Amino acid sequence: MRKVMMLAIATLVSAADLSQVIESPDATEILKKDALPAAKAYTMPEGCITNDPAAIARGKYIFHNLNGKDAKENPPEGLSRTLPNGKEKQMGNCVACHNIEGAVGYGNIGPDLTNYKGLYVDSGVRNAQFVYQKIADPRIDNANTHMTVNMTNGLMNEREVCDLSSYIMAIKK
Amino acid sequence: MRRVTLCAVALSAALCGILNADEKLSMSDADKAMYAELLESNPAEMDVAEGEQLFGDLIGSEAYAKVLGVKEKDLPKHIAGFPRYVDSAKKVVTLAQTIQMAAASVGKPVPKLESKEMVKMSAYVKSLANGQKTSIDVKANKHMAEMHKLGQQVFEERRGGRGLSCNSCHSTDIVGQRLRMQPLPDLGAKETAAAGTWPAYRMTQSQMVTLDKRMQQCMKNALLAEIPLGSREMVALEVYVTNKTKGNPISIPSVKR
Ligand code: HEC
Ligand code: HEC
Repeated sequence: MRKVMMLAIATLVSAADLSQVIESPDATEILKKDALPAAKAYTMPEGCITNDPAAIARGKYIFHNLNGKDAKENPPEGLSRTLPNGKEKQMGNCVACHNIEGAVGYGNIGPDLTNYKGLYVDSGVRNAQFVYQKIADPRIDNANTHMTVNMTNGLMNEREVCDLSSYIMAIKK
Repeated sequence: MRRVTLCAVALSAALCGILNADEKLSMSDADKAMYAELLESNPAEMDVAEGEQLFGDLIGSEAYAKVLGVKEKDLPKHIAGFPRYVDSAKKVVTLAQTIQMAAASVGKPVPKLESKEMVKMSAYVKSLANGQKTSIDVKANKHMAEMHKLGQQVFEERRGGRGLSCNSCHSTDIVGQRLRMQPLPDLGAKETAAAGTWPAYRMTQSQMVTLDKRMQQCMKNALLAEIPLGSREMVALEVYVTNKTKGNPISIPSVKR
């Protein structure tokens, strides 16, 4: 009798255990840490858009590269492959979605930014503040945008967004 | 444009014929030749065969059917409906998780979801349903409905280093456009058949990859934190993506770029 009881209990436990053996790690913390801050409006700082070739070179580099590790060429002055904490620096990889002068292997999720100044700025459809905001946080202009967020999430700083804006708005050969 | 996409995504030789010569997309001619060859002799067939061996040694289909509470002959049809709610699991589970339950039920060590053995065994188990149509039922019960809703939420949530979501690249208004030279696949399209074609041999990685791993690879590329295998959110994503191609025939292992 006693033996039978033991057996019955053992089976019960193992049946209950079936749900326990399933690997099911908790992902809530990971997702919480990975969350994106709410959309934020920015005012372009003074002197942001410049003809300084060094700034434009940095903007160009950020635009065409994915990250510091994979980049073929060395970054121009004022930009590094790594962050101060030693981790690799993420670039903009804008070319994944946008064509622009000299782009290689560009995507077309976003609009073609070729001759941006001539077509969009000089005509008055766009201005520097618009470009700055779009890069910093595109959700302000379009809540359902498919474009990346670059400043609100700490990916880029003010100067880098200015470098990118200067590059896009520059007249290119 | 749409045709070109179909070509690169479905990678079917017939469709590729209509690709303009000057359209240089992600599939080079050499890639296409390799794809055709891989279709003939898919290296992942070996993995599935090994999976059969491993599964037979560890569990066997009789014990497996018992854990799922179905007749052995009904396994193919039942497998085609995963992920599903399983009573003894008390939740919605993937095939890999049922293999963990089945191993425990016969007193064997439980293989980890990340293990090579599990990838092979789960591919084999899913291949038992080859020819069946994916028949996930997200309205079967409240658990499934909940998981489907959670899956959509996870799919649409912008997060990570670039503030992207799965939807940024896989929403229907963007499908067929290019990310770099990479056409964006419509996860719900017949040609993609995401639910019925994974585990698949990934040419770019020279190995067999499961659907959840494939989704982790998208997360990694787009700087989203990777959701761990087996987590509620990962299972929910699998439910959501599988439901997009419900009705597509299962064909394991397939070949993907
Ligand atoms: C994943 C796709 C994607 C990436 C990556 C991306 N963009 Fe965009 N971008 C878009 C889309 C889509 C639009 C169209 C407007 C919108 O939906 O916000 C856009 C719009 C823009 C515009 C406004 C064009 C106009 O005048 O209407 C600028 C400027 C721009 N992007 C710059 C950049 C820069 C700089 C980067 C890199 C830091 C970048 N984009 C990365 C998708 C992308
Ligand atoms: C930045 C763009 C981007 C993001 C974000 C992204 N994907 Fe993808 N995904 C792609 C591209 C491009 C492919 C096709 C790659 C190829 O063919 O090699 C793909 C392929 C896939 C496939 C395989 C389709 C098939 O062939 O069966 C699945 C499944 C998938 N993605 C799911 C997801 C999920 C889930 C997420 C979010 C967690 C996600 N993706 C986020 C770009 C993206």
